[in-house]
Amino acid sequence: MSQRVFITGYGLITSLGKDASENFQSLVHRRSGYGELRVLDTIHRTALPACEVKIHDQQLQELTGVAAGIGFTRTALLGLAALQEAIRMAGLSETEVRASGLLSATSNGGIREFEKYYYELMDPQQRGDFVRFTDTANPGEHCERMADFIGIKRYIGTISTACSSSANSMMQGAQLIRHKKLDRVICGGAEALSKFTLNGFNSLMILDPEHCRPFDSTRKGLNLGEGAAYVVLESEAEVLRSKRKPLAELKGYGNANDAFHQTASSPDGKGAFLAMEQALAMAGIAPQQVSYINAHGTATENNDLSEGLGIQRLFGEQVPDFSSTKSYTGHTLAAAGSVEAIFCLMALQEQMIWPNLNFTNPMPELAIRPVTSLRQQVKLNYILSNSFGFGGNTSSLLLASV
Amino acid sequence: MKDQQAYYINGIGIVSPQKTFDPADFLTEITAYHENVLRSVTPDFKAYINPIQLRRLSRMLRIGLTAATICLRDSKIQTPDGIITGTGYGFLDETHKFLIELLEQQEKQLTPTYFMQSTYNALAGLIALSVKCMGYNNTYVSRGLAFENALDDAILQLQDRPNANFLVGGFDDASEVQYIASKRNSHFKTEYINSLELFQTSTKGSVQGEGAAFFMLSRNAADTTWCKLLDTTFIYSPSGNEEVIESIDAFLEANNISIQDIDLWIDGASGDAEHDRIMHDLSQSLFSNTFHTRFKHLCGESCTASSFALWLGAAILKNQQVPAIVKVHPDKNPERLKNILIVNQYMNKNFSFFLLQQA
Repeated sequence: MSQRVFITGYGLITSLGKDASENFQSLVHRRSGYGELRVLDTIHRTALPACEVKIHDQQLQELTGVAAGIGFTRTALLGLAALQEAIRMAGLSETEVRASGLLSATSNGGIREFEKYYYELMDPQQRGDFVRFTDTANPGEHCERMADFIGIKRYIGTISTACSSSANSMMQGAQLIRHKKLDRVICGGAEALSKFTLNGFNSLMILDPEHCRPFDSTRKGLNLGEGAAYVVLESEAEVLRSKRKPLAELKGYGNANDAFHQTASSPDGKGAFLAMEQALAMAGIAPQQVSYINAHGTATENNDLSEGLGIQRLFGEQVPDFSSTKSYTGHTLAAAGSVEAIFCLMALQEQMIWPNLNFTNPMPELAIRPVTSLRQQVKLNYILSNSFGFGGNTSSLLLASV
Repeated sequence: MKDQQAYYINGIGIVSPQKTFDPADFLTEITAYHENVLRSVTPDFKAYINPIQLRRLSRMLRIGLTAATICLRDSKIQTPDGIITGTGYGFLDETHKFLIELLEQQEKQLTPTYFMQSTYNALAGLIALSVKCMGYNNTYVSRGLAFENALDDAILQLQDRPNANFLVGGFDDASEVQYIASKRNSHFKTEYINSLELFQTSTKGSVQGEGAAFFMLSRNAADTTWCKLLDTTFIYSPSGNEEVIESIDAFLEANNISIQDIDLWIDGASGDAEHDRIMHDLSQSLFSNTFHTRFKHLCGESCTASSFALWLGAAILKNQQVPAIVKVHPDKNPERLKNILIVNQYMNKNFSFFLLQQA
């Protein structure tokens, strides 16, 4: 008999705010994080606005209690801020933290520091504080840094499946619990903006310099974002033992591959369909029982069409309310899955549905349109959260109220 | 006591700094390296990848897709049910190329090719695309535990789906940028050595290795079975030798196997005088009576070198033979080849154990 998996705490930091309550307030008041870049040093600062966490590394160090000059990358600092909040919310003791697993996701780890100190790092004769960033081109580095800082030893892992990464880290955390390998896993992802990702996405010509418009027929691409988000997953047995109040159940999940193109989604949304279908099947619920979908909705031409068709195929005439909160946070890449899973948890807790900002013109190819205004006092039982990525990865999480 | 559930390795494909790409051949030709970087001995890629696709692929993607293809052919499976990869540094050569361009061109007029190829899950995605696998797909990048995480994932998937076949692989590239950056923290030796004499050195650092190894994991035996994977686990950042020894004891006990049952152990020493101290102690204590083999003089050190060790263990069991080159005492032979224990370490911080049994 496998264990049920519950969520007992979460923490996040995005351009909407440095903790859960600031993020919640921004969602309710339609405040997006889109704007000119002020922290990242790039020539695209004004030409390619993004959803940046407007907090400098030094303040992040103060926020997290990390000493200056010991080589914590911005990704690790953002991650730590969210991780600490998740631990606080769940009320884990030091012993419980030590006995937890940590699964973190990132698409580029500490590349921001690696690119910043590249010339110094490539000259073995040079000395200075930058040497603490020597291994930051390694994506697993941030996870070990965070684990060491908060004292997790039991089990660690880093996942990188591009933009679906942290959905996959939650899925694998749940697998470890369901099969009784671990009682508790803290899962999520962290991603700092970097010149590498900004220029990478720009070279692919999928960045919209304007504020992004998910599911709108005039959409021109995504806005990048940064942030980190972690949830505390616990087994049913552990919840009963600790008497912690679960916030929701992670009842189902699906992971599939579009097997269509290296960086594009299939035109018919087959992968998206498969991932959502699996998540529902695992939870044992019918499509009609889903009350809200937090879509991947990047606002690229390709994604929104593919995802929209995948949703229509699965739900037919009865498509539930859906929206993309990337119109608030931008695309936080590997952190997006866990950021949005937390927005779904907030939706379940507060019985609210977040609006899809900037939607005016329906897509001619789709019969469906996203929710555009804040909906309150909606009875929500089951929520789907989608995350898709390069390499054809499609993942979907099903959260249930408790 | 945990459930006694064995997993079968029903196919392997491995490209490494030794000529390992032919599953029928078992270390008959040995290559020595003299500049501390061990690069893959590659087959003619055209035998595995169609020419149009081949031209567009980076070296690491070619090596990885080839190893995966060899594994699929070896296991006689066209499309697996899921694909899971693990890598330490992924496609750092491509990351580096894009990074240099962006720095030198001050973020102007960049082309996306290298950026697209730098994504860590590019290989898992490429394999899925090549064999039209719409099933489960995941990639781990957990430094010295990336391949271990990938195996754990596959094992859990197989518990849910007892008739599935999962393609699981580890890959890493001996990238120049990692080599240069890591010199500063003595990750690699500063003096050039003959790679085959790695264990005769007494200095800090190892030699840089690379390769890709793919395994077809299933809960059912097949006529292509190499061996059983009884169990695997890892420990992160142990406080010292004691904890490593205790963890090995607990691991064996959980599998109902005593140290006397182990016919051969594969030691993940890397030639780094400091890091190898624990492995040396293990050989004197826990494994003082166990037949001793090592492998990093053949494949070099990398985050996913344990995937080479898994191939080595499986090949020893399948062939019922231990190549002299991996023996610590070349004149000796083990009495029996039934149970093999791999103990790997990466940077003295990531330790992993794999328990293999003759099928």
